[in-house]
Amino acid sequence: MLEKPQIESLSTAHRKRLFLLLAAVFLISFPVMVFYTAGYRLDLGNEEQTIVTTGGIYITTDTLDVEVYLDDEQVERPRLFRSAYYIQNIAAGQHRVVVQRPDLATWVKELPVDSHMVIEAAAFTMPAISHVRPIPQYVTATGTAVYLGVADKKEVLREATTTLPMQTTTSKKTTGYVLNEEYDFVKSLFGSTSTTSRSVFKTISDEERFRFSTTTATGTQEIIMEPKVARGNIELEVRQQELYAVWKGATQSIPYYFCISHTDATSTALRYGQHVADAIEQFSQSTTTPLIAVGSRLCRPEIKLDRLRKDVYFYDFFPNSSDLVLLQLSDGLYVTEIDDRAWQNVQQIYEGTDFQLVIENNVIYVQDGPYYFEVITRLETN
Amino acid sequence: MALNDQSQLLPYAQRSDFKVARANELTGPDRRLYRFLEIVPGVAAWGTLIGIVLASMYAPFLAAYFIIAFSIYWVLKTIFLSVHVRYNWKRLKHHMALDWQQLIARFEYDHLYHLVIFPFYQEPREVLEGALKGLIAAHYDPKKLIVVLAAEARAGVEAEQLARAMEQQYAYHFGHFLVTVHPDTIAGDIAGKGSNTHYALHQVREKIIDAQQIPYKNILTSIFDVDTVIYADYFNCLVWHFMTAENPYKSAFQPVPLFTNNLWDAPALSRVMAMSSTFWQMIMQERPDKAATFSSHSVSFQALYEIGYGQPNVVSEDSRIFWNLLIANNGDFSVVSLSYPIAMDATTAPTMWGTIKNIYKQHRRWTYGVENWCYLMYHFTKNKAIPLRKRISIAALQGEGYWSLVTNPIMLFILGWAPIFLGTREFHQTVLSYELPIMVRNLLIVAMVGLVVSSIISLSLTPPRPAHHSRFRYVVMALQWIMVPLTMIFFSAIPGLDAQTRLMFGKYMGFWVTPKREK
Repeated sequence: MLEKPQIESLSTAHRKRLFLLLAAVFLISFPVMVFYTAGYRLDLGNEEQTIVTTGGIYITTDTLDVEVYLDDEQVERPRLFRSAYYIQNIAAGQHRVVVQRPDLATWVKELPVDSHMVIEAAAFTMPAISHVRPIPQYVTATGTAVYLGVADKKEVLREATTTLPMQTTTSKKTTGYVLNEEYDFVKSLFGSTSTTSRSVFKTISDEERFRFSTTTATGTQEIIMEPKVARGNIELEVRQQELYAVWKGATQSIPYYFCISHTDATSTALRYGQHVADAIEQFSQSTTTPLIAVGSRLCRPEIKLDRLRKDVYFYDFFPNSSDLVLLQLSDGLYVTEIDDRAWQNVQQIYEGTDFQLVIENNVIYVQDGPYYFEVITRLETN
Repeated sequence: MALNDQSQLLPYAQRSDFKVARANELTGPDRRLYRFLEIVPGVAAWGTLIGIVLASMYAPFLAAYFIIAFSIYWVLKTIFLSVHVRYNWKRLKHHMALDWQQLIARFEYDHLYHLVIFPFYQEPREVLEGALKGLIAAHYDPKKLIVVLAAEARAGVEAEQLARAMEQQYAYHFGHFLVTVHPDTIAGDIAGKGSNTHYALHQVREKIIDAQQIPYKNILTSIFDVDTVIYADYFNCLVWHFMTAENPYKSAFQPVPLFTNNLWDAPALSRVMAMSSTFWQMIMQERPDKAATFSSHSVSFQALYEIGYGQPNVVSEDSRIFWNLLIANNGDFSVVSLSYPIAMDATTAPTMWGTIKNIYKQHRRWTYGVENWCYLMYHFTKNKAIPLRKRISIAALQGEGYWSLVTNPIMLFILGWAPIFLGTREFHQTVLSYELPIMVRNLLIVAMVGLVVSSIISLSLTPPRPAHHSRFRYVVMALQWIMVPLTMIFFSAIPGLDAQTRLMFGKYMGFWVTPKREK
């Protein structure tokens, strides 16, 4: 006859053994995890050194569906809807990061990775072929763009392309079409302010001012603006025939690309490029604009922007960004990054020699001859 | 009535400060000591949380290493506790399947009486009926039961009328039946279950136990929340444990509360909170040396008599009664796990918002049990007859319990990321800064495996599905556990922090009656 339940309560000895086992797991796993999170890795294939130190690269991209390569090896995509890549387990040294998609310009950067440290970069990828949204005077009842008195789309778009439907007709009859309200709005934007085809450098060297000219109903008028454009704590300045991005904010908040790890000049040239080493050298001797020391890093107060040895007609920050700059050069409209580590990626977003542009509500509008367009800077996924 | 007669009390229980509830009841250095103890838990909790924020800002590397250590500790703690839950689940199922009548057949237990006290406030008739019908349906001679319906005068005449109606309808089933009405005029009482029970115990001794000349040692007292519906073999199981306990008169007998009376009609949030409470009690069943009584439980009347029936002036009376017994018996009092269930109500309200409020208030009341830590610490400095090792062990364990209840969920799910958001620039450039959230996330995912165990066990403890609920509800019941990280923060940590902060500032809480279904 049963006298007591068959299952006894968990004995103190059993609990104690479990506790000791888990305490041992803690004592072993804690240092292992600390070393792991600090960048140490076990490399059993390495005969000289089985424990190696690693660093990382953190890349943000402006488009979700891009491919990222590190030293020619594709990096696994991050989880859905994330546009940042944290690439782990990278040996110290120079590494090339490529961000690409067939219909987008390729972004390439060579970055120095240090043990235990993560280096950041922000990739941008504009359309490989200029994309625009036509803004015609007339549209069909369903909203399709119509160009009257035009034989072929090429006549309107020239070097650009569009994914939107558009019609052309040699007839100039407006019957059956409706006036496009946006056309009047955009036209009015260009009627008040727009860029010029005169070099910024010439204008500034003449009068230390930046002049725009525009054509209005009453003739050409010149708009005079200060030659400095600011966004956040960065100012774009024209000086001695060059364009600079100048940091104006607090030392502690200076963007990473102004800074380098504290090393000697030779090492800096190898890691970041000769131009960066030269700039560091220049600022280290300057009493007016000295280098900024932030912890173990040295930061330049300004970065010269790459204008591809061409005249600059217009410059401003790229919409919604303080890291990218919009440049109207003699052969088109470009986007360049301020980050000059290794080099500055420069991508053309509109090709042309005689066009004007206006940025309104973070939209880039172009007037090229009699035609108006919105420049498309983001392409939907293929 | 000899409310102030102290001759029967154990020597330590005769101290004037034995039933102290708060600092302002003391004077001089004792008052300062008690007040200091009331401040300690809140300072410890806030100090930890603020400390992590400050460390994240000014010493992020240190904070990151601490967070890694804490995350590992959390995973291991989850494994440790899951083993306890799983083991107790096995034991609970075994105990539920056993024929306890047969098990106790070898004992002479006819002399034993069961005094069952149901303190109630404004609960509806169906709740009281459910509790009484549970007693009638038990596999135990109802004539050996002394049933007390303890009404509150402050609940109005309706409460007493309801109790009288129950008496008329059900009293004949039981050996004895008593209705008591706790007056709202007794000085020193705080409104609530503790004071009502305290009064009822005095009354039943005077009117039934002494009148019938029943020896106190022959009475097992079960103090039940009014929504408690016992399982059929509860008293048999209790008798077996009483008869086999090493020291039955120095033991409190703790069943496992299953909040299943209304589980099918309760929202997912209530179910998760209810089952989480059950799991905690299942864990404590496997380590009774670290447990105190909780909610409905049983204890010898003699033991209660020797301490003057517990305290009528505290909020967390269910645990305080155990600490009273432990202190008065110089540490020689323990919890015996029954590993046998009793059914109770999950906290609900007619609206979702009402349910959220009720759960929050209920958990704030439970976590106000931190007042017991002050009580323990105070008496541990006074009662040197309790072995020092035991005092240190209990103080540390209880202190850690209240501290971790409040701080751990917040540290784990919110402050684990603090160094990343608040850390210095130097920290942000390190591999450590990037690896920390990945490491913490992965460790939490491992810890979440414990939730799968919880989900399976909770389904196995769920009562049969009523016909009006679809089978799909089982799926919801399995998936409801993903809410745990949120419930831990909003219904454990925050109400706990609320309670400890109130105590810290001397804003003492009163007893809040958890509504038991709607009238």
